[in-house]
Amino acid sequence: MLPKGKMVPLALVGLGTAAIMVFVLVVVAMSWFSNPPFGLGNAPPQPIAFPHTVHAGAPEQGGLGIQCEFCHRNVTKGAAATVPAVEQCLFCHKTATGSPGTAQAAEIAKIREGITDGPPGSPPAVDWDKTNPINWERVHRLPDHVRFVHEAHVRFFTAGTTPETQLPVAQVCSKCHGDVASMTEVQPQARQSLKMGTCLDCHRQNSVPTDCTVCHQ
Amino acid sequence: MATERIDHKWGMVIDLDRCTGCQACVVACQAENNVPMNTQDRFLQRRAYEWIRIERYWEGEFPNVKARFLPVLCQHCENAPCEPVCPVYATYHNEQGLNVQVYNRCVGTRYCINNCPYQVRFFNWWEPQWPATLRNQLNPDVTVRSRGIMEKCTFCIQRLRRGELTVERREGGRLDAQALRDRNFGPACVAACPTGALIFGDQLDPNSAISPYFADANEHPHEEDRTTRAYRLLEEMNTKPNVLYLKKVDQYPLKQGEQHG
Amino acid sequence: MNLTRRNFLTWAGISAVGAVSCKIPFPEGELQIQSPVRLPEDLVKGQDNWYATLCRQCPAAEGVLVRVMEGRAKKVQGNPNYPVNLGKQSARCDAGLQALYHPHRLAGPMSRSGPKGAGQYQPVAWDQALNTLGSQLSDRGQGLVLITEPLRAHLGLIVSRFATAFGGRHLGFQTLDDTTYRGAAKSVFGQDVLPGFDIAHANYLISFGADFLSTWGSPTHFSRAYGEFRHGAGRTRRGTHVHVEPRFSMTAANADRWLPIAPGWEGHLALSLAYVIIAEGLQAPGVDVAGLTGGRGAASLEAFRPETVAPRIGLPEGLLVLPGKDAAEFIRQLARDFAANRPSLAIGGDSAGAHSNGQFNLEAIYALNYLVGSVGAPGGVVFNPASPLPDLPAAAKVGSLADWAGVAEDIRGGRSKLLLVHQADPVHGLPPSVGFREALGREDLFTVSFSSFMDETTALADLILPDRVYLEDWGSDIPEPGPGYYTLGFQQPVVNPLSDYDPRSFADLLLAAAQEQGKSANLPWPRLRDFLRESSDALFALNRGSIQAASADEFWTTLLRQGGWWDEKGTGPRPGAAPRDLLAGIAARAAAPSYFGAADGEFFLLPFAHNTLLDGQNAHLPWLQGAPDPITTITWQTWVEVNDHKVKELGLREGDVVRVESAAGVSILAPVYPNPALPPNVVGIPLGQGRRSGGEYAAGRAAPESANVLDLLEDRRVAVSGALAWAGARVRLTPTGQSIRISKFEGTSPAREIGLSPSEDIFKTVSSNGAAGGAR
Repeated sequence: MLPKGKMVPLALVGLGTAAIMVFVLVVVAMSWFSNPPFGLGNAPPQPIAFPHTVHAGAPEQGGLGIQCEFCHRNVTKGAAATVPAVEQCLFCHKTATGSPGTAQAAEIAKIREGITDGPPGSPPAVDWDKTNPINWERVHRLPDHVRFVHEAHVRFFTAGTTPETQLPVAQVCSKCHGDVASMTEVQPQARQSLKMGTCLDCHRQNSVPTDCTVCHQ
Repeated sequence: MATERIDHKWGMVIDLDRCTGCQACVVACQAENNVPMNTQDRFLQRRAYEWIRIERYWEGEFPNVKARFLPVLCQHCENAPCEPVCPVYATYHNEQGLNVQVYNRCVGTRYCINNCPYQVRFFNWWEPQWPATLRNQLNPDVTVRSRGIMEKCTFCIQRLRRGELTVERREGGRLDAQALRDRNFGPACVAACPTGALIFGDQLDPNSAISPYFADANEHPHEEDRTTRAYRLLEEMNTKPNVLYLKKVDQYPLKQGEQHG
Repeated sequence: MNLTRRNFLTWAGISAVGAVSCKIPFPEGELQIQSPVRLPEDLVKGQDNWYATLCRQCPAAEGVLVRVMEGRAKKVQGNPNYPVNLGKQSARCDAGLQALYHPHRLAGPMSRSGPKGAGQYQPVAWDQALNTLGSQLSDRGQGLVLITEPLRAHLGLIVSRFATAFGGRHLGFQTLDDTTYRGAAKSVFGQDVLPGFDIAHANYLISFGADFLSTWGSPTHFSRAYGEFRHGAGRTRRGTHVHVEPRFSMTAANADRWLPIAPGWEGHLALSLAYVIIAEGLQAPGVDVAGLTGGRGAASLEAFRPETVAPRIGLPEGLLVLPGKDAAEFIRQLARDFAANRPSLAIGGDSAGAHSNGQFNLEAIYALNYLVGSVGAPGGVVFNPASPLPDLPAAAKVGSLADWAGVAEDIRGGRSKLLLVHQADPVHGLPPSVGFREALGREDLFTVSFSSFMDETTALADLILPDRVYLEDWGSDIPEPGPGYYTLGFQQPVVNPLSDYDPRSFADLLLAAAQEQGKSANLPWPRLRDFLRESSDALFALNRGSIQAASADEFWTTLLRQGGWWDEKGTGPRPGAAPRDLLAGIAARAAAPSYFGAADGEFFLLPFAHNTLLDGQNAHLPWLQGAPDPITTITWQTWVEVNDHKVKELGLREGDVVRVESAAGVSILAPVYPNPALPPNVVGIPLGQGRRSGGEYAAGRAAPESANVLDLLEDRRVAVSGALAWAGARVRLTPTGQSIRISKFEGTSPAREIGLSPSEDIFKTVSSNGAAGGAR
């Protein structure tokens, strides 16, 4: 039995220990939750309300059915999927302006600042100096020490020898990004985190190397 | 095309009879791997970072004197002393023969540095800094190591991985000696070396220029039995490096007196 | 933000940096992803492209490939196709990236706003700057002097025609100029273009002075061949290399045997070897000894008998530890080895040619090649052809000290009132007694600098019109020394300048100025690119060489993709017979070196080009400042290397600052480095440091850490060539009591202290006797 006088410091020690543990827990929790997808990518407001439903949605649901890789054209060629250049948007939106007066037309007008409509029958002219780039807010982001190559993953799942690895490109994209074609605002796939565990699970399922240097260089 | 995966075991041979000590490898490595800039302060503090360095040894006295140049980089030991001491498994040996440092796992205990007999691991004592304009040069394929992280030679893993992806996954070929050399998938120091003193290749590729040396060294554990000039640095420590050295040919040895060749 | 292509480049740079930094959890640039306005295919994020161009970090102009990602140059590598370096590179090549993205790069035109030399400049608009240039050219253009780096091919032609059009002159500046070597090559081989050397196929190589593995000539070209010389595929035996030089250079360190000769006596040793070869009849079959010696045979070289020469050339006693053999016998044996192990090769340069008798030295050295039948033969001296296209200069026009003294005199005499300087720093690189600094400070001289960086000459300029860095600009080169056949390298811009920078191409400015002044009769091209394209079409019309193309356009794109054009069948001139009485004539011109400086000086001063900084032209590049000197491992500093026993004798230790004095009042301060391989009567000091302007990397350190060894030299010239006799100074060392720390790499990695003795257990050697020299 401890002398009575010593009880107070012990309680203090206990309190201190608890405080340190709480602090550590908070730090750990913060670092965990501040990583994707929780801290970033929950459908941030975008400079242009771009509906993937209209562009990539199935025709029977009122979409245009444009393939993913038509706009994200580097996804089958290189590491980055790349967001399309404004020039590419204008392939269609030179002429596709939306119904005048609608909110849709107002959004489309944001990328048509450099366009002067010519006389009827002739194509519109583009002044590239008046065209502005679009600063999208990121939705999916990997930490800097991760190297992810879109092309390798798309090729694995589209050019394989089994039915599971001969998918259409859109289905490959949806494995990580969800069914973007049905999203008005792009957000991370529900319950799908881009944490390392997700990567490893998939790599293991498909008997792909899990060596650290595959992603960390 | 999803072809069979090809196994590799990377290795390097350093011909001491070709090395002239010119420093081309040292600078090429720093340019490729975002190695922090070696300012004068770092040299004064004995904390210069050179993933590959040229050690210069003196032998003899004037006028019978020789300077010896020894390039030293991570030896990628099969039996690496740095690996078992890491408390967080940030350094390990992968199936391609590389001693790997995982930066995002490293917590900076520096046990590995203390246990490395070759002194080829470098601890980031400072946040790496470059003038804003010089940051344009940084290689986006290589992580910039922050303060508190250990770093070292990777055999330019980013180039090897890029090579595997391009040549083997995409084109269905093999990342052999020719692809490594002609398409810049080999380590930067090897590509730079003007005299061809650094040779890099795949120990599992019988046509690789390094294979005969590794075969000889593996077959004959004792140096004196070997038919080539191959030896390993600090071989008696049994670290089994994946880097081999070829002895310097000394035409006029200092010790045995003078002879005309 | 309006994203023009240039703005996009900046943005791309930011995101690339963001992508590699893991300091802050989410760097600002990474929270966004940008749709650029337009997307050229070569700027796709994450994709790299390799472009072929030329490196301009040293005069050898190696062919390189540059890795470009998102509009930013990331890595420089040797171009495997380019004949000079065949995929190899020097440390200097990599550092081109730091020149490109250097924090102290001059952003745009500036005009002087303070007194000359005060370094006060204000930015001006290009229009205004070009008006000033135009009016200066029309007012003072007559007799202008155009100073550039050594130039060949297209830019060489443009600058020389430009200077001629204005009644002026063009001179290439080289600190350790090669005019003596050029003169020797001309008189011995009859060649205007510098010869090459087939080191790869030689069996025995004697080099005198030339630090050809580090800085002399085309070091990467020679180093590649040197690797083959040691253990090339198909060789039956390893080549033997003997190096003769008073100082222990990097080349000396790699030689099988180093002979520390007394400074300036190289030619006497060479003629002594010639004497032995002739007297003992060891010459190669078919060599016309009578023709070389005026019919007198060995008698013409009687004055160079080994017994006569040996006592003069100062070979140290201890070197000759052969029982019963003396120095004269040693020379005889050397000559026998040289003659017996054909193909053998003798080359000379650097300090061997930088004495009052330098031209004699080099002529004697190169003449040895005739005796062993190595002129124009495999494993010997290779002649290079002139340009494949008419008019393009294949040899650089380099000024000698006599020329520079003449320029300074013309400025002082008011005969030259306009000076145009491009990538040359004569104020730093000439001995003070030439008076170049004072001449450039004169009010009646107008100086225009086209330098991309501040240097000592630019700091005296009235107008600065920064040139593009070579990775942003067009250009070309005919390598000198070349590979032995027609070669024309092409340089193309691989990136655009950063958005805050507005440099303009030097060549294009000259062409535009000539046009504006009505002097463009011989310079009809609007831009250098047009001239290059014209040459490409001319090469296409030749219909031979490395490029097969169906059309001129295809030829041009292939040319740029490969980095140049070459024709391996278009070899240099066949060697004619040796000049009559060559050896006898050289022997008649023999002279002893005459030294200058401190008459009571205990030491010979051997300045040398720094392995990476060269003469200081690369001193602003931190990678090259931080690359250890191969021998001393010193970085970022000047040092004076002194024999280690001598250092003890003087009561000094490493880092102790000494005053190095060549004449009363002519001195510099530098810390001592004890070098065990230096003769006790020689000190070595590298060039490269001591810059007075050029930003923190080049000029951020004061004496004694940084000093210019050229300050110790006088206006002493090599006979005949008029070049600077930079190796003939004698100096005194006086301790100052001050001491600094040497920033060296040696000792950083304590491999010596891991419980094993240093060299024997770590650095292993094998005797060539056991393994027959061809050891695998």
